[in-house]
Amino acid sequence: MRHRFFLWGCPVFLLITSFFMPVNFNKPTGTKKWLICENSNLCVNGTTNINKFSCQIAAYDHIDTLTVSKGEKEIVLSGTISLNVKGFDCHNSMMTADLRKTLKEKQFPQLHITFLSLSELPGLNAQPAFITGMVNIEIAGISKRFEVSYQITEDAQKIIHLGGSRDINFSDFNLIPPRKLGGMIKTRDKLSVEFHLNIKTIN
Amino acid sequence: MKKILFSGLIAGCILFVLSYGGLYLAVKFFPSLFTEYNNPLFNSDGSRDLLFYLHAFIFSFALAWFWDRFKGMFKGLPLLRGIEFGLVYSVIALVPVMWISFSALDITVIMVLSWLVYGLLQAVVAGIVFAKVNP
Repeated sequence: MRHRFFLWGCPVFLLITSFFMPVNFNKPTGTKKWLICENSNLCVNGTTNINKFSCQIAAYDHIDTLTVSKGEKEIVLSGTISLNVKGFDCHNSMMTADLRKTLKEKQFPQLHITFLSLSELPGLNAQPAFITGMVNIEIAGISKRFEVSYQITEDAQKIIHLGGSRDINFSDFNLIPPRKLGGMIKTRDKLSVEFHLNIKTIN
Repeated sequence: MKKILFSGLIAGCILFVLSYGGLYLAVKFFPSLFTEYNNPLFNSDGSRDLLFYLHAFIFSFALAWFWDRFKGMFKGLPLLRGIEFGLVYSVIALVPVMWISFSALDITVIMVLSWLVYGLLQAVVAGIVFAKVNP
């Protein structure tokens, strides 16, 4: 009798409980670690009514790790990169100082990009694949979620190149675009953010 | 006193239109001259815009008093009196201020020279107005 219970009871128990288990109990699978290399960079492009500006953080000075795993519908990407606002260089000392002031560098010395997901993880090769993903961008203490367009490739040295771009507004982060001389010189609200990450797969 | 205020107000209105109109056109047609203003030295949050636009009136009332006090020293036609008045103001006020500004602030020679010429032209226009309204 006891044997019969174990023979039938266990499968029935597992079948019933499996309906009540959390959905991602057996997910995610195939977790990988991506190591962001130091020569990654970020660029911010903007315009005023008199000129254009392009400010770069040319050399990302940290080594950070992103975790990539397969989720229900998309690829779960987790990890944060933190960038020093002081690292921006607009190739003009006054514009550089002005951008840092606008981004409230003294109060918030770092901006953060937190990776959340990728729409898919295509087969990586030298041919660029175009995908999208969600990120949280935190500037001057305000965090906003954005969809980012990515271009992803892998070179012969097995380095993954993840390029991302997204238009954001100063006003998304409660920042006031600089205006000078009573508003006669105005910086436009829209900024184009582009970043390029060089990534090594750890496992 | 009434003459000072009246001539100051008239000059202020004329300078307001000419100065800011001229500045607007200069920014539009010679944008490269203004790229150096993207500099944290200059107020950038709009909190002082009113003060910026009141400058024409502060300037004209101050010069109206100066004109009333020393107008007897400027002789000839209104145009000539205005030019001499502008030059006197530039030499005794603008040049020393521009000197100390350039020595202390991270600004360019072109910027300082443009302020000098701008101030000189404003003072000449104000002088011509005063010579007509309060001879």
